[in-house]
Amino acid sequence: MDTFLQVLTNGLMLGGLFAIVSIGLTLIFGIVKVINFAHGEYLMVGMYLTFLLATGLHVHPYLTVAAVAPLLFVLGALTQRFLIQPLMSARDEHVQIFATVGLSTALMNLALLVFGADIASTPSSGLRTSLHLGPVRILLGQAVIFVVSIALVAALHWYLQRTQTGRAIRAVAQNRDAAQLMGINVNWIYILTFGIGAACVGLAASLVAPLYPTQPTSGTYFVLIAFVVVVLGGLGSIGGAFLGAMVIGLIDSLSGFYIGSDLREVAVFGVFLLILILRPSGLFGRKNLAHVSP
Amino acid sequence: MQQKLKPALASPRGAIGLALVLLGVLAIPIAMDDQFIYHIFVTICIFAALSTAWNIVGGYAGQLSLGHAIFYGIGAYAAVMLTNMGITPWLGMFVGAFFAVIAAIVVSYPCFRLHGPFFALATIAFLEVFRVLALHFRSFTGGATGMMIPLNIGWEWMVFRDRLPSLVIAFGMMLLALAVAWWIRNHRLGFQLIATRERESAARGAGVQTVKVRLIGVSISAALCSLVGSFHAMYLTFIEPEAVFSLTFSIQIALFALIGGIGTVFGPLLGAVMLVPITELARGWLGSGALGLHGFVYGVVLVLVVLFMPNGIMGLVHRFLEPDRKPKAEPEPETVAAEPRRVAPHQVGDDIIRVEGLDKHFGGLHVTNNVSFNLKEGEVLALIGPNGAGKTTVFNMISGFLKPDSGTVSVRGTDGQFHQPVTPGDYAAIGVGRTFQIVQPFASMTVEENIMVGAFHRFTDVNDAREAARETAHRMGLGRWLDSEARGLTIGGLKRLEVARVMAMQPRVLLLDEVMAGINQTDVRRAVDLMLSIRDSGVSIIAIEHVMQAVMSLSDRVIVLNSGQIIAEGSPQEVVRDPTVIEAYLGKEFAHA
Amino acid sequence: MLELEAVDAGYGATTILHGVSLNVQAGEAVTIIGGNGAGKTTTLRTIAGLIRPTSGSIRFEGQDITRLEAHEVVELGITLIPEGRQLFPDMTVRENLLMGAFRRKAREQAEATLKEVLQLFPRVAERLDQIAGSLSGGEQQMVAIARGLMARPRLLMFDEPSLGLAPIIVEQVFSVIDRIVETGVTVLIVEQNVHHTLKAADRGYVLENGRIVLADAAEALLDNDHVRQAYLGI
Repeated sequence: MDTFLQVLTNGLMLGGLFAIVSIGLTLIFGIVKVINFAHGEYLMVGMYLTFLLATGLHVHPYLTVAAVAPLLFVLGALTQRFLIQPLMSARDEHVQIFATVGLSTALMNLALLVFGADIASTPSSGLRTSLHLGPVRILLGQAVIFVVSIALVAALHWYLQRTQTGRAIRAVAQNRDAAQLMGINVNWIYILTFGIGAACVGLAASLVAPLYPTQPTSGTYFVLIAFVVVVLGGLGSIGGAFLGAMVIGLIDSLSGFYIGSDLREVAVFGVFLLILILRPSGLFGRKNLAHVSP
Repeated sequence: MQQKLKPALASPRGAIGLALVLLGVLAIPIAMDDQFIYHIFVTICIFAALSTAWNIVGGYAGQLSLGHAIFYGIGAYAAVMLTNMGITPWLGMFVGAFFAVIAAIVVSYPCFRLHGPFFALATIAFLEVFRVLALHFRSFTGGATGMMIPLNIGWEWMVFRDRLPSLVIAFGMMLLALAVAWWIRNHRLGFQLIATRERESAARGAGVQTVKVRLIGVSISAALCSLVGSFHAMYLTFIEPEAVFSLTFSIQIALFALIGGIGTVFGPLLGAVMLVPITELARGWLGSGALGLHGFVYGVVLVLVVLFMPNGIMGLVHRFLEPDRKPKAEPEPETVAAEPRRVAPHQVGDDIIRVEGLDKHFGGLHVTNNVSFNLKEGEVLALIGPNGAGKTTVFNMISGFLKPDSGTVSVRGTDGQFHQPVTPGDYAAIGVGRTFQIVQPFASMTVEENIMVGAFHRFTDVNDAREAARETAHRMGLGRWLDSEARGLTIGGLKRLEVARVMAMQPRVLLLDEVMAGINQTDVRRAVDLMLSIRDSGVSIIAIEHVMQAVMSLSDRVIVLNSGQIIAEGSPQEVVRDPTVIEAYLGKEFAHA
Repeated sequence: MLELEAVDAGYGATTILHGVSLNVQAGEAVTIIGGNGAGKTTTLRTIAGLIRPTSGSIRFEGQDITRLEAHEVVELGITLIPEGRQLFPDMTVRENLLMGAFRRKAREQAEATLKEVLQLFPRVAERLDQIAGSLSGGEQQMVAIARGLMARPRLLMFDEPSLGLAPIIVEQVFSVIDRIVETGVTVLIVEQNVHHTLKAADRGYVLENGRIVLADAAEALLDNDHVRQAYLGI
């Protein structure tokens, strides 16, 4: 029983990790309607930045967020402005996919050129300490990620619902043309949203780096999971993405324990394919089915 | 991405250019006789072949697969496993192709509902599953340690001391892939794949079985990739899951097609010819010190191509081949064939369509409520009513695009029996053709090619279809624009194209959804004449129409639909005097006029 | 107030408007009539800055607005109520209306404007907290018009306000438009429902195949043979 509880807890903690990595992707997809294949590389870049700042300035990795998140904001905003925006009117979706796939390939290999294939370890700064909660054990760093992911969901929700800019962002997502007719500068909203989405990844990177090794391919693993989470959560729903992340975390943890750790991905992607094909609106989504034929 | 659909071979300069490229790929390494140069050119051939095969799915059919390494990997593993069991790869490669086709169907069938990035995501997910499974089933695949082939040298084992035979085989595979891609592009399958990509619903309306043609396309593509994979494994003598079922590799395959010109026959070849040497040379010169450099170059090139050269190299090639081709100024609409209208009294026959009790709900909305009517042979039946009355919904249900919640549609076949078709394909097969209210041209195809898609419903041969399309085009007054891209037509022209595509199918029943909308008065009169001549040729017509002038002069009978219910039915004269109709649709002013 | 001069515009390579010239004086109600696809919607979208003209010029109160972005055009006081309502479906009616007052000049007075506008639309006032997507077509059209007024526009443009509505609702929509015209807002309406719109307007233009073929006082157009034959089906 205790083992089961531990596996379950691990699943939820993993869910927190997946959630914090996926929220930015969900936001960008939900508003800009672009699937950003370079999302994982944003995370990787953020993790390297955290590594460099934490080791270079000898500060706690969490403190680097003050620099990493703004830098990622700029990276995201630049991506939107100079890569996505020129292609927004393209008749063919292939173009946007290739654009972000190209960015992803370029960033990953740039990291390989600059840092080599070796692992960069950000100091864990005490975040690997175990906390004992009754029968289960969790790492301090995991607990922080879990709590911050919930806080981030709440903060974004508040921002989108209660602020004038947040409302404008939602308006653009729901009806781009009408939003323009209200006097909203749609291109600017897209840049802002892309920036915020990337900044969320920056936050995630600073929390993740002390616990996980940083290498050029770090992003690849997470980005595939993040896609799964976004689809599961119902494409663009931030709360849905959080729940989706929990589900995937649990599947990952349970299948890893009961089926075999090398088949976890089969379980995760199997569930993903089933959802995508059988219930394309996601587990928690509504309508928004522009991506499937009737 | 837009592309010229006329194959480059049509121009002599293009044919010579292609021959030179092919010759170069074979002759340069032989002439230089250097191991490394041989390796580069074998790699060019391999990627050109894979990319050409990918293009059948990613380009023609417009389904962006990032999982094509699956098929390549199946071929590779099949060949290596069988070689280890003492079976020659010349056989093994076909075993691999067989399994690749099965995998392709299993993977693609459920994914074809997904569009754009979601199709890409699903193929990536499938690729990951294959990779993890290949790692897991060690006893079959050797797991992460990979598999070697036994060093039996000779043609029988596809393993050679010299590089020349490998080049010959790789070159042959590339030629095979190019020939297949070229053949498809110039035959019915290619037209149907491209039509499906451009407008799926319009393709189905033209009788294309979109799922079937895509499955055929992806099967051919997978088989080709698998064959190449088998050879490549023999060439490399070693395979492992991480290298074979690799996302990066999948992306590379697609990349060459994109850079060369996605959807073109020879673009992928050009992409590989341009890019493989650069990256292989860079790798050779800089060695491991520049780990990641070639990937970085790929990524940057990809971004630049997408931003500044979305039609790829072929886009430039076409500009070179046809330098004087400027977009023609919009010509004035041409007159519709002005044959005098026959006044012969037309015969109205027995029922050809019977519609009984059609009900349809969208969410809480009752869009059609117990709609029943019939259409007699040789009759023109007009369906009128306010916007949102459910007219188009009725059309969608009597052409298979929408399943009614209850009620039946029966169509009399040529055998005299009534049948109940289900899918758009069934309706097309029994002779019911439809147009769409919002015109749905295959935008990047020419007018002739658009109509040919309809004609392929009757003909398998390209030349027959072309002949029929031309004839239909002239009849519909589109003769002058045969070679223009459909996107350049005016609304009136597009409406006529819509009808022409259906007429090329030679339907027995024609469903016309607002074909007069948005065209001017003179054109309305011509269109009415055209409809009447179509009717006189024995086609029964149901027309949704707002232009009352046309309704009055065209129809034998009128049905008025309001809020999903039939509120009146009768001759045009009766209907316009009906107080309910005036109240709901025509307005009092119409009655007072 | 608004002046189009020889405007060509379209989508991509397709030119839809060919040399369209028209003008609207302050306080006037002007209509553009024409069949489906004649270019009416394109005209309004071009004025609103959603489509950039390929040639010709558009001036508003003396200022050249030909190259302005849509949101800049809104800031000047031109509001388009688009075809097919185009509400924000997942927002409440109140949020939709407040989005209408996004333009800087309208933002501070949003609450006051809301009170004024709701007086004109008692039915909308009852539904403030409903999700806009759950309203009926007629109610949505009313919300769309109310949302347009929230911007306190100097020029209000309607694109097919009667589209897809039951005749009874169409009457209501036009009576609202009449009242808006009475309050002195300058109005430009595009409609297929030619009879109603000519009754509501002072002047009208007839657009066919992207060209203005007729321009006259609304009453004169009602009696014009061509208009009667082509658009009134008489």
